[in-house]
Amino acid sequence: MAKINSMMDVGKRAMMNSQTALQTVGHNIANKSTEGFSRQRIETQTNIPISEGRYQVGMGAKTSSVTRINDIFLEKQLRFEGTQLGFEQAKSDAMTRVEQIYNEQMNKGLNQSIGEFFNSFRELATNPESTATRTLVRDTAKFVTKDFAKAVASLRAIQGELDQQVTQQVGQINAFGKEIAQLNEKIAAIEISGAPANDQRDRRDLLIKKMSEMANVRVTEAGNGMISVTVGNSGIIVSGNSSNEITSGRVENKNGREGIRNAIFIQPAVGADPMNITKEIKNGSLGGIFEVRDVAINSLLDDVDELAFSFINGVNGIHRQGFDAFSNPGGALFAPLQNKIEAAQNMGLDAAVAKDPGRIVAGIMPNAPGDNRIANMIGELQQQRVMEQGTTTYDEFYNSIVGKVGIATEKANRSAESQKNIHAQLENIRDSVSGVSLDEEATKMIEFQKTFDASAKLIQTADEMFDTILAMKR
Amino acid sequence: MRVSDKMVYGQINDSLHKSRTGLNDALAKASSQKRVNKPSDDPMSAARVLSYKTEDQNNTQFGKVLTHAKSYLEFSEQSLGELGDVFLRVKELVLGAVNDASTNTDTRRTLAREVKQLYEQIVQVGNRKLAGKFIFGGFGTVEAPFDYKGNYKGDDGEVRVPIDREAFVAVNMPGSRIFLGKDIGSLVQPQPEPRPGTKPGTTLESEVPQSHESTGSGANQRGPASVEEDIKFAASSPRGGPGPNPNKQGINLFGLLRKIELSLEADDKLSLQITLDEIDDAHNQVTLIRSELGSRLMNLNSATESLGKVKVETKSSISQLEDEDAFKSVSDVNKNETTLKATLATSNKMMQPSLLDFLR
Repeated sequence: MAKINSMMDVGKRAMMNSQTALQTVGHNIANKSTEGFSRQRIETQTNIPISEGRYQVGMGAKTSSVTRINDIFLEKQLRFEGTQLGFEQAKSDAMTRVEQIYNEQMNKGLNQSIGEFFNSFRELATNPESTATRTLVRDTAKFVTKDFAKAVASLRAIQGELDQQVTQQVGQINAFGKEIAQLNEKIAAIEISGAPANDQRDRRDLLIKKMSEMANVRVTEAGNGMISVTVGNSGIIVSGNSSNEITSGRVENKNGREGIRNAIFIQPAVGADPMNITKEIKNGSLGGIFEVRDVAINSLLDDVDELAFSFINGVNGIHRQGFDAFSNPGGALFAPLQNKIEAAQNMGLDAAVAKDPGRIVAGIMPNAPGDNRIANMIGELQQQRVMEQGTTTYDEFYNSIVGKVGIATEKANRSAESQKNIHAQLENIRDSVSGVSLDEEATKMIEFQKTFDASAKLIQTADEMFDTILAMKR
Repeated sequence: MRVSDKMVYGQINDSLHKSRTGLNDALAKASSQKRVNKPSDDPMSAARVLSYKTEDQNNTQFGKVLTHAKSYLEFSEQSLGELGDVFLRVKELVLGAVNDASTNTDTRRTLAREVKQLYEQIVQVGNRKLAGKFIFGGFGTVEAPFDYKGNYKGDDGEVRVPIDREAFVAVNMPGSRIFLGKDIGSLVQPQPEPRPGTKPGTTLESEVPQSHESTGSGANQRGPASVEEDIKFAASSPRGGPGPNPNKQGINLFGLLRKIELSLEADDKLSLQITLDEIDDAHNQVTLIRSELGSRLMNLNSATESLGKVKVETKSSISQLEDEDAFKSVSDVNKNETTLKATLATSNKMMQPSLLDFLR
């Protein structure tokens, strides 16, 4: 037979359960917009019943646990696609900047200034006697050297900014690593008692996802709920409750061209030598940055140098064959360079020409002020296939670089766009599983409130029953 | 499917973002009227636009060169016309002078003075300047090519200027040909010449003009051609008709006039008689060169005309590659605007209803 006392007990426990449930509803509603939050659900189960001989009397419900609704496989996939997204996005951002250097739709660029250079020689061909025309030629040639140098400087500036981004993101990864290690400790402590550490896990998942967007990281979970995080293949930055740091340091670029770039290091143990793990980071925004910085831009720098070197030698080669305005044998127009590397950057006018435009050569014969044949030949150089083993002209070579940059940028933009869509779709699925729905929470609120009301009514009834029993004595 | 609030808001944000991006792009294209605003919009077109732009740039330059070449040639042609008139007048004088009925020793002396004046006139013509440059000095454009004795100080340089990607036209006629009759037969050559498609190194040698028979090396190439002898031997110098005999020496105009003058002074009718043929040849020589310049001018005119066409074609090619179809751009803007409005309207509907609105 059931006891009034246990009736009150059932009522009390039901009220407590409802309160817990309502609190959870409140928690869900409050965290509706919290990034990385998974909605939580209260799990109730029947209390242990009391045997009364031939039957059992139910003893109400008890709260067994509060769990989060979360699909760990979905999280893993999101992490993976997030890494891809970071890579494509970083590449697309950087390439858009690079493209701007080669955009001559709106502003003047190398193509135009090379064209002006050749036209200045055509002008000289019509007026080889004129000092004014020679000055024009000299100034136009100077602009060409400046435009070459400007193209290089702009490319280098982007590399420099990408370096800063590397440093910044390394700092972020380290901050995330530190927090993950702290969360690891908390989660282990909470879960040893059997209760899932919902909010801490949500936060930790979010941090891993954010870290994954920056670099390819490997995550493994141990039995005690702690995870270890490895950047690349060997950059272990979180292990249990301890965290290590990756550092960004300057190293000489071994591409034969001067330039010191930021690389990523990790010190595996105290006292050990820092290890360069830059090559292991192939993905995430850092991977994208490295690809543009070290592959795409360096190849463009090679192209610009190739063009500058060939241009200098081509023009000088013709220029040397004639005589200048003072009937001296012609010298170089551009200061001759030994190395192809850095040619565009180091390009300059020959010192003699820079000082006196009369040193510019227009004709083949001395003492012939009207001789314009060298000027004509330099003008013709524009049409001659002198680059890439005699297959392209300077213009064609440069235009093909522009085409190349355009294609690379377009591809990067398109990949980033489609990766964004894939990622957004996954996010959508995650929201569908773990996101908070106000309608749902409102329904639950009413449901648990009614339970609360009914449970209170039960206690009231039990109380009245006590009164009835006490009244029997009178 | 379970739809959480975050999904709804995410969806709304996403669609709004997309519609706005679309509208922004359409507006950018409509306002610039350009389909290609940066290389990645259409890499192949962007590269081709660049090469067309270079061509356009060059066309402008070629236009300038053409104007220059034309004024140069026209001026040369005019001067030659004057020269032709001189020899017509000389022929008149000589014809009169060989006729005993109308002239005697005294009048011949007067005629000699006129011939001397004509001589001075052709020296003047030989030293004509355009924009500060002597036009008949070959490459020697800053010093007067002829002195009073008729010595030539210029060279045989042919100043050729680019009028096209591939073609050059010679804008001058060296005084050695006009006045000294040098290489008169070789004048009949097609102009403009096609560009020699060889490397710069090889074109060099082939283009050096043979200054004179006595070509020295380098520095003395431009030395005054020895015309002293020509004057002396003008009478007996082998002369030929300008037309059919290539590379035959033509007439030294100064020598001829000087000879006529001397003959008139000396009252030497027989010599005068002989010079009549030479005067005809001299006139022919000038006329031939003049017609040569005339044909170059015609060439220039047709080059100017075709340059005009090419200019228009280049511009329209650029336009086709990079310009947006005006109708399409406007309709794109409208389309995107409609999409954005629809998104906004539906977003409004999606956000509003919640169970909480219906609870009291």
